[in-house]
Amino acid sequence: MAELGVEVPGLALANPLMLASGVQGGTAAALHRVAASKCGGLVSKSIGPVAREIYPGPVCVEATDSIVLNAMGLPNPGVDSFTEMLSQNYFSKPLLVSIFGPDSQTVTEIAMKMEAAGAAALELNLSCPHSKPGSRALIVGQQPELIKEYISAVKQAVGIPVYAKLTPNTAQVSLEAGAALEAGADGVSLINTVSALEVDPYAGRPIIGNLLCGMSGPAIRPIAQRKVAEVALAMRRGEIPTAPIIAMGGITTGLDVARFIMLGASAVQIGSALIYGDADIFAQIENELNEFMDVQGYDNLGKMRGIALDSMEGLN
Amino acid sequence: MTLSTSPSTRSADFDLQKLADKCCERMATEFSKSGKILAPIPLPIMEIVHEAESVVTVWLQVPEELATAYKAGQFFMCWNPYDAEGGMSRTNFNSEKPYSVGDIKIDRTGIDETTAADEGRVGNTLMGFTIKDLGRQSGELTRMAKGDWLALRGPFGTTFPNPTSGSTLLLVSGGIGSTPMHMMAKEARNKLGDRVNIHGIMGFRNASEAHYVERMEGLLDTLTITTDDGTQGIHGYPTQPLEELLKGVDSENCILLTCGPEPMMKPVLEMAVRAGIECYAAMERYLPCAIAVCGLCMVGDRLTCRQGPVMEGGWLLEQSDFGHHH
Repeated sequence: MAELGVEVPGLALANPLMLASGVQGGTAAALHRVAASKCGGLVSKSIGPVAREIYPGPVCVEATDSIVLNAMGLPNPGVDSFTEMLSQNYFSKPLLVSIFGPDSQTVTEIAMKMEAAGAAALELNLSCPHSKPGSRALIVGQQPELIKEYISAVKQAVGIPVYAKLTPNTAQVSLEAGAALEAGADGVSLINTVSALEVDPYAGRPIIGNLLCGMSGPAIRPIAQRKVAEVALAMRRGEIPTAPIIAMGGITTGLDVARFIMLGASAVQIGSALIYGDADIFAQIENELNEFMDVQGYDNLGKMRGIALDSMEGLN
Repeated sequence: MTLSTSPSTRSADFDLQKLADKCCERMATEFSKSGKILAPIPLPIMEIVHEAESVVTVWLQVPEELATAYKAGQFFMCWNPYDAEGGMSRTNFNSEKPYSVGDIKIDRTGIDETTAADEGRVGNTLMGFTIKDLGRQSGELTRMAKGDWLALRGPFGTTFPNPTSGSTLLLVSGGIGSTPMHMMAKEARNKLGDRVNIHGIMGFRNASEAHYVERMEGLLDTLTITTDDGTQGIHGYPTQPLEELLKGVDSENCILLTCGPEPMMKPVLEMAVRAGIECYAAMERYLPCAIAVCGLCMVGDRLTCRQGPVMEGGWLLEQSDFGHHH
């Protein structure tokens, strides 16, 4: 059996498989439920300044067996309710707390409250393709200057590690990753969902209640690999600061995890796959990863980390 | 026919049956891939039947294989992509909600079973969702008309246990909880005929809301109606006649199933557990996604969409968040 443990800033994970933000993790009951699985770590739903209701449905559907579309609308209990929950609960797996807000000052206030409530690390949700027009959260992740403003403000206010969650919906993701890391982020996590839209021809309208949506699921896995590689290669070339990458996008098997580790990821997040196997999917993926590493003779994750980048170093 | 949901460009010779057949065919193709409809498929409403005050049944044409694969207890996510006025439902209410099937009609009249497959058109299969106006989305659905769209995805969730030959089934419903009880009675009769004893108790607030009574009478050995205000049947709650019913059954060979408001189901399950009877409830919770993503439909440490809606009674009674209004 290979050693699957991995340490990233603020989080000592027994295996690299984390629950992705936005899936199940909005309440103590839901987080405990996933913590009881074989996951290595948890990420909460993105928590904002005040409680938010879910968008009109359909909020999340499988468009095909490999495409998941969602526009949940960042439903969350709000920071005050969440911190109260946080201080009253011990979770059996490390918890990365995802946060968002309409401006850097608000996000900073949320970050401080989370730190005070005992959060081990924060993930700043800088991107959500389905936020309402006019909301600043829509565009932060697409503007390196705003990313810098948000990250520096939060990093100056809290001592716990901060990860920047990046959107794939930009021309060159290494620019956004660079902005976050130069501003002091302790790591980056990518990719968020891909901007999407699906019309039902009989109904003559989009099939998601919010009309616009984000796409996840196995179909976006190659997009995610490309984006992760772009960031990892920029780090190798010294164009941006080097820091841990937490990768996600369409991971459903142990082999998928290996793909991302080989592109330089330290850990991965798994979200849409819970549609297929609920929280039990973590045990299945862990077994597959173990089996793969055993037959390949990798006795720890470090042995395969980044090896797929070697052939691509000269690429832009 | 209002066709409020459709483009005004529909031509004068538009044929609803032809459209229903095509949508049904589309649904059959999707269903054959995974045994489930993943993305919502809109179907034109074929008929709307008034059942009782603010209770209607919306009939949709579906593939026969989908209807026969459906098991009582499971649910579909039902979405009205347009409201009754033809407006798009991008408003501040969740316009997709879980409903269990109330009734299924498979029309085999005039079909020669030996040649039907070669004859092209066979009898249609209709699936009925019985909906009570309980809020914005369900209220909207009760105001829909023939020709309007209703989109379905599913079926999702767990099913009731299969009764065995010689066993007794007790079905206790409150209000619109009647629908899965009816499907269960129908399933059990189809499978076991007279080799299963089925006794039902249906509770309603008042006589004007009473529905499905004739349907159930045709299937059950005995049926007792209760109303909160005494306008029909016994004046009171389903627990009253249940007390009597439980005295007469062999607890070893009996299953109690219930569906209705949680404050009604809780005492019903408590009585069954005390009597040593295996029991299950079909739960209804706020259930936005149905596919284990949003995490908002939890009861205890379980997701209603995946580990429900049919949940074991003894387990439910141990959950502190069970038995209250939701």
